[in-house]
Amino acid sequence: MKAPRLHPSSGGAAYWALGWLALVAAVGLLAPWLPLPYSATAPDLANIAAPPTWHGPAPHYAGTDPLGRDVLAGLVAGSRQLLLLSLPATALATALGALSGGAAGYWGNHGLRLPGWAGLLGLAAAWWGLRPPLLVGLGVALPLAVLLVRYWRRGWAVPLDGLVLGASTLLGTVPRLLLVLAFAAGPPLGTGWLLVLLVLLAWPDMARLVRTQMRQVRTLPYVEAARAAGLPTGRVWWHHALPAASQPLRAFAPLTLAALIGLESTLAFLGIGYSEATVSWGQLLGELRQAPGAWWLVAGPGTLLLATLVALQSLARRSEV
Amino acid sequence: MLGWLLTRLVGVVLAAWLLASAVFLLGQLRPSFAEQQALARTDEPAAAFSSPGQVAASQQALRQRLVLDQPAFYVTRAAGPPVRWQWHGLHNQYHHWLRGVLRGQWGRSLRDDQPVLEKLAPALAYTLPLMSLALALSTALALGLGAYLASGPLATPGRVALRLVLTGLQALPLFVLALLLLLLLANPEMLDILPAADLGNYDADPSSGRWLAAYFIRLALPLLSLVLAALPELTLPLAAALRHELASPYAVAARAKGVPARRLVWHHALPNAVLPLLVTLTGLLPALVAGAVVVEVLFALPGMGRLLAEAAATQDYPVLIAGVLLTAGVRLLALVAADLLHYWLDPRLRATLA
Amino acid sequence: MPALAEQLPRLRLVSDSLLELDYQLRPQAKWDNGQPVLAADIVFTLKLLYCPGLPNERARTEMGFIKDCRTDPADPRHLTLICQGQAPEYQWAASDFPVLPESALDSAHTLRAVSLPELRRGAAASPAVAAFVARYRQANVGRYPAHLPGCGPYRLADWQTNRVLRFERKSEWWADKLSAPPFVLQAHPRQLQFLIIPDATAAALALRRHELDVLPQVPAPLFKQLQQSETRQELAFYTTTSYNVVTVGFNTERPTLRDKYTRRALGQLLDPAALAQATQQVPGLRTASILPPTSPYYNDSLPLPAYNPGQAAALLRRAGWQRQADGHWYRAAQPTPLALDLRYRSDDAMLSTVGLQLQQAAAQLGIAVTLWPTEGTLLAQTLQAGNFDAYVKMTKGSPFVLNFSPLLHSQAIGAGNLTRFSNPASDRLLDAIGVEGRPARKRQLLRQFQRLLRDEAPLVPLFMLPNRLVADRRLRHITPSGLKPGYVAAAMTWAANTAAGR
Repeated sequence: MKAPRLHPSSGGAAYWALGWLALVAAVGLLAPWLPLPYSATAPDLANIAAPPTWHGPAPHYAGTDPLGRDVLAGLVAGSRQLLLLSLPATALATALGALSGGAAGYWGNHGLRLPGWAGLLGLAAAWWGLRPPLLVGLGVALPLAVLLVRYWRRGWAVPLDGLVLGASTLLGTVPRLLLVLAFAAGPPLGTGWLLVLLVLLAWPDMARLVRTQMRQVRTLPYVEAARAAGLPTGRVWWHHALPAASQPLRAFAPLTLAALIGLESTLAFLGIGYSEATVSWGQLLGELRQAPGAWWLVAGPGTLLLATLVALQSLARRSEV
Repeated sequence: MLGWLLTRLVGVVLAAWLLASAVFLLGQLRPSFAEQQALARTDEPAAAFSSPGQVAASQQALRQRLVLDQPAFYVTRAAGPPVRWQWHGLHNQYHHWLRGVLRGQWGRSLRDDQPVLEKLAPALAYTLPLMSLALALSTALALGLGAYLASGPLATPGRVALRLVLTGLQALPLFVLALLLLLLLANPEMLDILPAADLGNYDADPSSGRWLAAYFIRLALPLLSLVLAALPELTLPLAAALRHELASPYAVAARAKGVPARRLVWHHALPNAVLPLLVTLTGLLPALVAGAVVVEVLFALPGMGRLLAEAAATQDYPVLIAGVLLTAGVRLLALVAADLLHYWLDPRLRATLA
Repeated sequence: MPALAEQLPRLRLVSDSLLELDYQLRPQAKWDNGQPVLAADIVFTLKLLYCPGLPNERARTEMGFIKDCRTDPADPRHLTLICQGQAPEYQWAASDFPVLPESALDSAHTLRAVSLPELRRGAAASPAVAAFVARYRQANVGRYPAHLPGCGPYRLADWQTNRVLRFERKSEWWADKLSAPPFVLQAHPRQLQFLIIPDATAAALALRRHELDVLPQVPAPLFKQLQQSETRQELAFYTTTSYNVVTVGFNTERPTLRDKYTRRALGQLLDPAALAQATQQVPGLRTASILPPTSPYYNDSLPLPAYNPGQAAALLRRAGWQRQADGHWYRAAQPTPLALDLRYRSDDAMLSTVGLQLQQAAAQLGIAVTLWPTEGTLLAQTLQAGNFDAYVKMTKGSPFVLNFSPLLHSQAIGAGNLTRFSNPASDRLLDAIGVEGRPARKRQLLRQFQRLLRDEAPLVPLFMLPNRLVADRRLRHITPSGLKPGYVAAAMTWAANTAAGR
């Protein structure tokens, strides 16, 4: 179900969008070297929630927030936060989604068989990793081993399709924000864990998309032909089927990036899992609640956020053509 | 058909159980801090005359009352060399919780010792009308705007402007939108026309018209935010679907027969374009729940979203789990219902399921 | 209970570790059902604190020093409380709890069979007590207190958790008949409605729209904003000094922070003057110790702490730290450079500002400070468990309690002594202060203790936190107070010809 193309003339818009995104990325990349009068986290105790000034020895060009931090430096730090968090999260989720969805669509529930010894190997690894109490361990492991030996010849069918669909249904039942809320409650998570959480939330949709596409691609003549020619299955999958099945991700990845940026800034706005040491656009926006008249806290971060999200969406629309 | 429904429902229960267990056990992975809530901060002057022994004793009593002194799960793993596993039998927190849930006892909030259901019910009673109102309003608006967008040439200034506004709204996260509305409409420095928070202090009798008016005025900002956020999601696909229908042969034929444009849109194209709208509507539910969290926190409304956000911030797991379970249950049931509706609306599907 | 007694109790020292307090209850005091309030009711309430399975742990911690009580067979309104320890503050603290009616909750007198010391020892497993606890829980008076007869001037009319608490004045109350009721027995407003507003800005807005009449604990920026707003003519502003002080504490058990010079060096990196100005927007709040300068026990010979990075570096060198080529500080036998994890409550902009200031100043000296804003209850536990290097928090004080043992005594480690500070000299001083009744000697001891605290620097006091309250200008007799809710609600009256209060 493709969303219809909205702007017949989105070619020009796409260039603008790309240009804007490149600018944000460049600012984020070069943030440590930009000649800014203030660092993003240093409070200026003489200027708390001060409006923008252009005069004086070290003016705050975009004002300060209720903690005394420079808003302009915060904007730059916020774009760096996008590069460090949302972008890698999207990239990882895309890769994970493409691989798992592609595998599930190609092999289904019965297509991929592991040789019997793989099961024994897994059992041994599990024993070593868990080191269960001897009696309980033997009670579980012995029947499993017997089963493994019985299926030695036929191998084990991995229910890939069921696993991927089940995981994506499970993670898709509760709104993302609520899941993050449930898992990220408490002390700040740190960028690493937040990244893991975002990837965990974003991959199911992508996997579903690729899986659906893959089920069509695997029946296409050229894939059938490659298989008939005797190429190894893995090679057919990797070189011929997966690139075609991943096509929809070109449009979906920018949308996911936009969604993750939105989610991440919402989290920062709600103050979940964040510390003052990492400045982001959402956080600056959230501080408006402490200084209700401070329009400069909305103007800068709000415009940047809106422009970035609009750019990503128009890019997604462009990619659908 | 019945078998299919049954499998789906079993799946729903299974998914809800897995999710709730995951939240419960992940909560246990972190050190449990919840018991602090009921205790005096021991560095306050009020506790100045208690010996540390007394503090420890009452802490232990509290842990016992809240079943926090038991291990978290049937087996736990003692860290560090040598790695050891311990079997605790049925006396563990997870078993206690699961048994309670199966008997319909959802436990008590760790914050104020109230039964969880007694906390959820009023919050839900507040959120549900808000969400239904938002849903109804945005659907009605979407139908109108969609019809307007589809019923004429795209390039008129009105349609271009509307389209631009909708695209902008679609990109804007809800909290920015709500914040802007708050800043514009409830700010003494700008326009001070709407209240910024629901203080709950209605003076009037709940059945009177004045009460209802006060209720709507207080809900105006949150409602507006939710409707505006949901609008593009509904309108743009609907407009596209309508356009597609209007370009199809039956519409061309009808137009050739002289059916008026308005009648063509509302009576011929719309019934065919409504099916995708239905899909979008069921997909909108999670967005609305997430929206409720943002809006209720921002406008200080005593609803489900704020309850859950607060429960998460204070690690009040009984409330949090019940909330997650409720949302998941509603969502899964809505999915099943949407499938059923689809099945009922589209005769072609019946053949594949039968 | 303070309202029920005729006067402050008479004190009597028994042996060297017990204190007896003698109370005489007012003969006019009555429950709503007409029964008189008797000493038996108070004994019953104290016993309730030790019934297992009831949510009474907090009260148990607060009133744990009351060991036993004695009633007088000849006078049912005469009561003696026996306290562990001999702190003079007991005469205020020992009666500071609400009283429940025995006749309504335990008409069969089940609990009279068990004595308070028996209950305290945990001899409560008897079936009679268990049955009583079950009955008590069944009645659910915690949720529906209106089911119980009270003896106060107000009746709970509406209670929505986290939203509204509404009290209505009883039309007939026993204290109305008193000829000259003391301050605690005055109750003027017909109705009191407490609204819980999670957002300070929303609350300030409601005040300006006259949806609220009194707003306590207003943050400094909002206070200033309200003072500059157009509605300021209709509002009255109150600022009173409090005994609450913003402090930075160090975990004295950490190897890096064990010696006092390092702690003092880090203390020199804080800028109390600029922080007080930035967060409170009023000068003159600085203090050199955990008491306010206005207190008669304040040690005024101590210099005010000030920002001085040069001296901080000198102190660090004195503590054995060397600044290496990479800009960080190292010390013999410690492989990692000097760094700090700073914890504070996450929803308070003032604490964040303090954290950011310290981070910035320390970074310039080559010390990495990591900020950990943490949710309030979580923070309390983290600090008690000692999982931190340093914290910023508001340390609550009270003009009536000058006992700092819970804060700094080595026995309070794991409880209120968050810095885990342990020092024989300070323990001795704290013990002496705790039992000292003579003001002059107490003052001398407290001054000595403040000097020691300054030298050891487990805590660095920054500035006092004033109490700010904004109210409708037409309200009279507003008495701001350090205790919740921040003012004395029942004493307020409206100026002539205004409507009933909220």
